[in-house]
Amino acid sequence: MWLIWDLSILLSAISLVIMLFLIARRVLQERRARVAADQRRRLLTALIAFTESRDREALKAAVLSVPAGVAINAGFEFISLLRGEEYDDVLAAFNECGLPALIGRQLEKGNGAERIHAAEMLSALRSENAVASLLSALDRDRSREVRIAAAIALCDLGSLPPLGIALRKVGVAGQRSRRLIELFRRFPPARFEELRDHAARTDVVPFIRAAAIDALARVAGFHFADFFASAADDQSPEVAAAALRALGLTGHAEAPAILAGAMKNDDWDVRAAAADSAGRLGLPELAAPLSRLMDDEVWTVRYAAANALRSFGQPGERLLRDIAASEVSRSQRTASLILAEGPAA
Amino acid sequence: MIADWSHEIVLAATILSWFIIAAGLAQTAIYLLQLVVAGYALSLRPPVARSALLWHRYGDVAPPIALLVPAYNEALNVVDSVHSMLALEYPNFEVIVINDGSKDDTLQRLIEAFRLVKFHRPYEETLAHMPIRGLYSSPMTERLFVVDKENGGKADAQNAGINVCRAPLFCVIDGDSILEPDALMRAAQPFIDDPERTIAVGGTIRIANGSRIEAGRVREIHLPRRVLPLLQVVEYLRAFLMARLAWSRINTLMLVSGAFGMFRRAEVVAVGGFTKGSMGEDLDLVIKLHRYMRDEKRTYRIQFIPEPVCWTEAPETLSVLARQRSRWQRGALECFFRYRAMLFNPRYGRVGFLGFGHIFIVDVLGPVAEVLGYFLIPAFWLLGILSAEYLLAFTSLIFTYGVCVSVCSLVLEEAELQRFPRARDLAVLTAVAVIENFGYRQLNNFWRVKGWWQFLRGHQGWGEMPRTGLGAAKK
Repeated sequence: MWLIWDLSILLSAISLVIMLFLIARRVLQERRARVAADQRRRLLTALIAFTESRDREALKAAVLSVPAGVAINAGFEFISLLRGEEYDDVLAAFNECGLPALIGRQLEKGNGAERIHAAEMLSALRSENAVASLLSALDRDRSREVRIAAAIALCDLGSLPPLGIALRKVGVAGQRSRRLIELFRRFPPARFEELRDHAARTDVVPFIRAAAIDALARVAGFHFADFFASAADDQSPEVAAAALRALGLTGHAEAPAILAGAMKNDDWDVRAAAADSAGRLGLPELAAPLSRLMDDEVWTVRYAAANALRSFGQPGERLLRDIAASEVSRSQRTASLILAEGPAA
Repeated sequence: MIADWSHEIVLAATILSWFIIAAGLAQTAIYLLQLVVAGYALSLRPPVARSALLWHRYGDVAPPIALLVPAYNEALNVVDSVHSMLALEYPNFEVIVINDGSKDDTLQRLIEAFRLVKFHRPYEETLAHMPIRGLYSSPMTERLFVVDKENGGKADAQNAGINVCRAPLFCVIDGDSILEPDALMRAAQPFIDDPERTIAVGGTIRIANGSRIEAGRVREIHLPRRVLPLLQVVEYLRAFLMARLAWSRINTLMLVSGAFGMFRRAEVVAVGGFTKGSMGEDLDLVIKLHRYMRDEKRTYRIQFIPEPVCWTEAPETLSVLARQRSRWQRGALECFFRYRAMLFNPRYGRVGFLGFGHIFIVDVLGPVAEVLGYFLIPAFWLLGILSAEYLLAFTSLIFTYGVCVSVCSLVLEEAELQRFPRARDLAVLTAVAVIENFGYRQLNNFWRVKGWWQFLRGHQGWGEMPRTGLGAAKK
């Protein structure tokens, strides 16, 4: 009996103490936030003044007069607005004030969000020790998001380890992240071959291979068209679809035959990618297989095929009208819908 | 005195008492578990990154999203809501408003505000729904489409939207709700970080009553001035920051709110979309997704993340709130009995045991046991079966435990979101956490028992949910 009363009193006391603590903490936070906002305002004013006067000493004094956290955040936001000589000057001032070292410490000891942000700032500040700090984060950080951010930053600094090693350090779970698409798109031209080799490896996660192919198609173009053509019949539908999309961007002498073959693939994603690429490349010789795809069981494939026919111009439109005027079928319905797309008459 | 009563009555009273105590203890254990798991989940979550950083980080790889907005008699809010949705900070999205046969001038207001014109857009009728009367697009923005269809209910309207949308992800949001500008970017984050496994993500719903709202944006956050919405603020904190965060951590999240949830279209189509006519279409969909993914033996994640915030208008009168709570109760019961084969079924793992067990204890047994307790415990005391000391001690324990749980959910709010701008707000919410135990909690349980009764009688109506309009939210 008394135990129940004691428990009630204990729960009440815990609740009261927690709330008093939260309220006191919040009051202190409000005060600190006001002070930080004022310091931030002063630093931004000094940064704006610096872009006119180029008085590096005055800027350094302003940077050193505020806490490191305020200087890092306000400084990074400001330099992301600058370009050219102004950018270099502010960067030099920041380096002289030791901000990169502070950011390096944040990369080691901050919370998850701060560590990701620190990796991004280090690549923007391009300091001497940035690469070492980022390599250490890629190697040791416990969060895969931080490791991916470190890999992207290292790529920007031209110091990413060989891709296989970098991905192994990112970890298996991290190799499903769409952030890796960002990493691959930032690859320097000198390392495109490495990206291609990785995309060709059948022991690599299909998502990674597809992302690498997408990136290569966007940034490297026709140079890898042969590789895309060979990857178009990959066992993995994800990779094959990516290769077909890439062919749609770069083109290839064998593209019509490859796309026609892919239109018979068992996977609907591959068929849709083939139809889409046929339309993008404008290959009227594929009108017949595209017409057949308009009877596909998957709407996405039918829509892609019809759109491809429409992109062929008048011959394609004529074919669509013929199909729309034929007997009621899936093809006929798709053709009618595609022809009607747009503002109502 | 007990000896005066017949053996059967005492036995019945004892059994009932044990039922009430067992249900109460089970609920207590669940809340305790949720608190611990939610606290652990928050400790693992990195503090929130700024919106500008998110854009810089994820902007290029963010997947396209269709925002589906079912609107039924939303003339008051719809134009402001659509304006705010079009102004969301996300690189690749479209807004599809589905006018579900509104009786007011919802469609007309949209046509006038956005100069809508009829438009043909091919789509496949994968999911069944009431006929579409017309599609509209706006020459003012490529992002906006309006679907005008015959009335079929919220689930029906959402299914029509799913058919019409082309993005691989869609986000459902109520027509009278307001998303924070970065909410889509934050909600999309799990789809970026783990695109293969993530199939649904829910965000936090907050109460906007009392806040200053201009042009479809929450400009200044204030606590509601009226008591009823204020009480609901604490309730929502418990529901979202404690329960959903905890269950999300162990992948047993059973509810992604229909007021704001993001889903992968392919899986939703595979399970047949929202169940038409369901009172709890959001709960129903998530249960179907769990069942489908488990049956298919696929690894998946259904996540709740606290940072994306959607603001909504809470009922301000007892009658409207009563209807809402009874409907929610019917929705929970309907889903529970529809998918009862999943309860404690090893095939569904922790979803069957924890997720469904939670629904069983908290939603099915909970209100009945608690309301029985309100009547029987005092009756037993009057009859001399229960001693006055125990009655007072247990009552006090129940109340202080309730306060403690609410206070702990405020800790979670402070640790993660800190959306209440002033320290004074915390003091007010603490007082509310105490007050809600005296009257509001009991009332809520009566409404839920009423929902039980309506469910047994096969009542299907939604009831009128009059809106004052968030733009005109009381200050």
